[in-house]
Amino acid sequence: MAVTTEAVGPAPVVPTKHFVPDPYLDLEKYEADADLMTLSLGPQHPSTHGVFRVVLYLDGEIIVKAVPYCGYLHRGVEKLCEKLSYSNITPILDKNDYVSPMLNEQAANMAFEKLMNVEVPLRAKYLRTLLAELQRIASHLLWLGTFAMDLGGALGGGTSVFMYCFRERELILDLFEELTGCRFHYNTHHVGGNRHDIPPHWPKLVHEALDTIEGRLDAYLSMLEHPIFVDRTKGVGTIDAQLALELGLSGPLLRASGIDHDLRRDAPYHVYDQLDVQVAVESGGDCLARYKVRLAEIRESIRLSRLLVDNVPAGPLSSTKPLNMVTQFKAAAGQVYVGIETPRGELGTWLIASKDRPTSPYRMKIRPPSLHAVAAVPYVFPGHTLSDAIAILGSLDPIMGEVDR
Amino acid sequence: MSFTNPWLNGLVYGALLVTVLMTAVAFITWFERKFAGRVQSRMGPTMVGPFGLLQPIADALKAMQKESIVPRNADRLLYRLAPPLTIAFALGTAAVVPFAPGFLGADLDIGVLYALAFSGLLAFPTWIAGWASNNKYALLGGMRMVAQGISYEIPMVMAALVPVVLAGSLSMTGIVQHQVTSGWFVATPVGFAACLLFLTTALAEGNRIPFDIPEAESELVAGPTTEYNAIGWSIFAASEYAHSVVTSAIASALFLGGWDGWWNLPPAVWMVAKTIAVFLTITWVRWSLLRLRSDQLMALCWKYLVPGALLLVLIAGIQVSVRG
Amino acid sequence: MGYLLSTVQSLWATLRQALHKPTTVEFPKVKRQRAPRIRASFALVREANGDEACIGCKKCEKVCPSEVITVVGTKKPSPITGKARGYAEDFTLNLQACIVCELCVQVCPTDAIIMVKEQEAPGFSRADLTLTMDKLYKNGETKERLAWSSATVLGEHQKPLEPPKPAPKPAAPAAEAPAAAPAPAAAASKPADAPKPAELAAPPAEAKPAPAADAPAPADKKGDA
Repeated sequence: MAVTTEAVGPAPVVPTKHFVPDPYLDLEKYEADADLMTLSLGPQHPSTHGVFRVVLYLDGEIIVKAVPYCGYLHRGVEKLCEKLSYSNITPILDKNDYVSPMLNEQAANMAFEKLMNVEVPLRAKYLRTLLAELQRIASHLLWLGTFAMDLGGALGGGTSVFMYCFRERELILDLFEELTGCRFHYNTHHVGGNRHDIPPHWPKLVHEALDTIEGRLDAYLSMLEHPIFVDRTKGVGTIDAQLALELGLSGPLLRASGIDHDLRRDAPYHVYDQLDVQVAVESGGDCLARYKVRLAEIRESIRLSRLLVDNVPAGPLSSTKPLNMVTQFKAAAGQVYVGIETPRGELGTWLIASKDRPTSPYRMKIRPPSLHAVAAVPYVFPGHTLSDAIAILGSLDPIMGEVDR
Repeated sequence: MSFTNPWLNGLVYGALLVTVLMTAVAFITWFERKFAGRVQSRMGPTMVGPFGLLQPIADALKAMQKESIVPRNADRLLYRLAPPLTIAFALGTAAVVPFAPGFLGADLDIGVLYALAFSGLLAFPTWIAGWASNNKYALLGGMRMVAQGISYEIPMVMAALVPVVLAGSLSMTGIVQHQVTSGWFVATPVGFAACLLFLTTALAEGNRIPFDIPEAESELVAGPTTEYNAIGWSIFAASEYAHSVVTSAIASALFLGGWDGWWNLPPAVWMVAKTIAVFLTITWVRWSLLRLRSDQLMALCWKYLVPGALLLVLIAGIQVSVRG
Repeated sequence: MGYLLSTVQSLWATLRQALHKPTTVEFPKVKRQRAPRIRASFALVREANGDEACIGCKKCEKVCPSEVITVVGTKKPSPITGKARGYAEDFTLNLQACIVCELCVQVCPTDAIIMVKEQEAPGFSRADLTLTMDKLYKNGETKERLAWSSATVLGEHQKPLEPPKPAPKPAAPAAEAPAAAPAPAAAASKPADAPKPAELAAPPAEAKPAPAADAPAPADKKGDA
């Protein structure tokens, strides 16, 4: 059994004759060259992106079967939402997808607004779009840093890229701190609009931050465009379009597999219908394609943010009265689903309200995009080595906070 | 200044070398951390002592007072044996490195062979550590280490053969003397290529990025040394740095002219400066590049480095025979 | 070879970075400049006449998603004005579980609970991080530490054209003059007088370039988009 890979050159990983991409592979019937080794890429591991466990069955260095286990970070958020009211659910949902909290808040509040038939003022829509795009940049920068660290080592070149990405991300978090007061987990959205208005010096800061990020991004991308990186990611973890659709992948994962679908353009919300969102699509489906898609998204978000921050219209920031008691927002019975495009894919909120509980959801189900990404693990891992498995997991970008809730 | 009695020579210079080298290793960790910090746009250690200079001492003291745990079902003898062996082999290589004319532990006629053999032995204690730890991650790391170590020995030896062929002597002192009179080998094209090749293989032998797949932090936690803590792990880390420093010294002796220098400075100063320069390059590469995967690493070695090294030895041989 | 060229490029990128000044500072010797709106800890404030602003209405306790506030309310005559009004007999805020969501500040009808710009010092026991009423009032005495936001200020952000409340609370200390709302950085730590009703109509012209054309329609806030 020989895996033919080349150190240089574009040849993808050629699977062995034993390789069966079947997550339900019966190991009893598998003919291994040697004994199968069970390795638990356990919940405590330097690079499982949160607490996530994958039990790998290795034949030498090739993975034959991978069984993921999630749920280590389950905190009962959806049940907690049934106890809280619409007015104070938002800060709890920040902690789901904890690297892009703005989008979590927006998803939930858009669902509340749709249920209660509340129209958000235009200024708030612009501000929400701007915050979403800035958060997208920050989230993708974090992804880039951790991906480089997965590939390059916590004590090596990967860490250098990680530090640079975080330095740029800090610029965006400083912007959020100027606006809301918190670098992270802002609670700046509520039903009907936003809570914090733009300080007068903020647009200038946004422009400075975006210019700095764009300049620095070019500077250290040379470290990532290295042939070592290309060899580690090309042909690794290929998810073809059929599998992506079956698994319900969305966002960069879907676009890297060749399917041109972006909720910002195809089902616009906020003010995306007035913006011409350039969607990046790659057809490789491998880690390199996902990297390229996300990098293109960073640049696109920088461009959109620049457009938005100069053109936020004047007006009220919220169409509901400021919160002055916890039972302020009441909803009639009904159910809604709202899906928005987060850096990981489509984050959906399915909200059911019942008559006898006007201030609190009857059931709030969150559709996390990372759950579907993690579901791809048993399909994609087999046939690759352990090093590739780490690279693939990094490129799928799961955030366990939203997988487990 | 060497003693006539080889035992006395070895004892005095051995003790001196071990002391100096271990101190150097301690402060070279400080240097690496500071450099890594600056590369990553942050400050390195700053709290302990001025500019953080006492940080290695603090780390050593902390490691010494920790409880050293041997895992259950681990092979106790091998587990305990691995760290001292690693440091012994790393330091033993330094016995033949000439820091000044006559200033070395043992002026062997086959100095280069001795140095390469000892540095190649380093694969074994790490492998023993990986096996004895009773840990799958460690086992994987140890296996990768052996595969990498013995594969990269070959281009390393052949790259080191180039200065041997050009100087006509296997003795380190002889090679340096030749460079003092005829110019540094790195200034010649074949010597420059051989220097690059030697440094690349030295990175691989020392498990430095981009070849650090045995101790790939993000995959294998810590590779063969996963189960080691406290002083055991510190010895492994120290031996890795010691190996890098000694290999830098060997590279400076073989290619960069050893103690040759200008301005009437003592020769040892030149040797130390060149060693630090080479180590700086190794560190610089470490903090800039990503890691090669196992099979890519092997492919690089067998498909590119071995033929390249053979070619370089051939060219060096032709050059020497043409010049007569 | 592409390898060598890319390697040289990577090396150059890192070396160039190494030659620049680092981005980090040596905390805690040097502290980083935080934004003016930063929210960290809490304070209870007193009104201009020295009376406690908190009326013990427990709205903050009910809104808190982490249930960190415990209020025991009571009714007694005010030592300053003599009139009977609500007070908080005991007010405890458990900072360990607080998620700094600012909702308690948002709902307070009297602007009594305000955020503070500096974090509490780390402590060795739970009691160090449980803010009792004494600690909260003590936090409120240093005006420079008080943060930018209070219920009134947030309310202005969220509803700048709302007609003034019929009975403006007497001198809520950390509420800003509306003219200062565009520059929270400057006025964040200074207490200001209660906003005059007439001035509330003007701030939109300064705070945001919301033209007076919006003013005639304060009634239909919904459907404004």
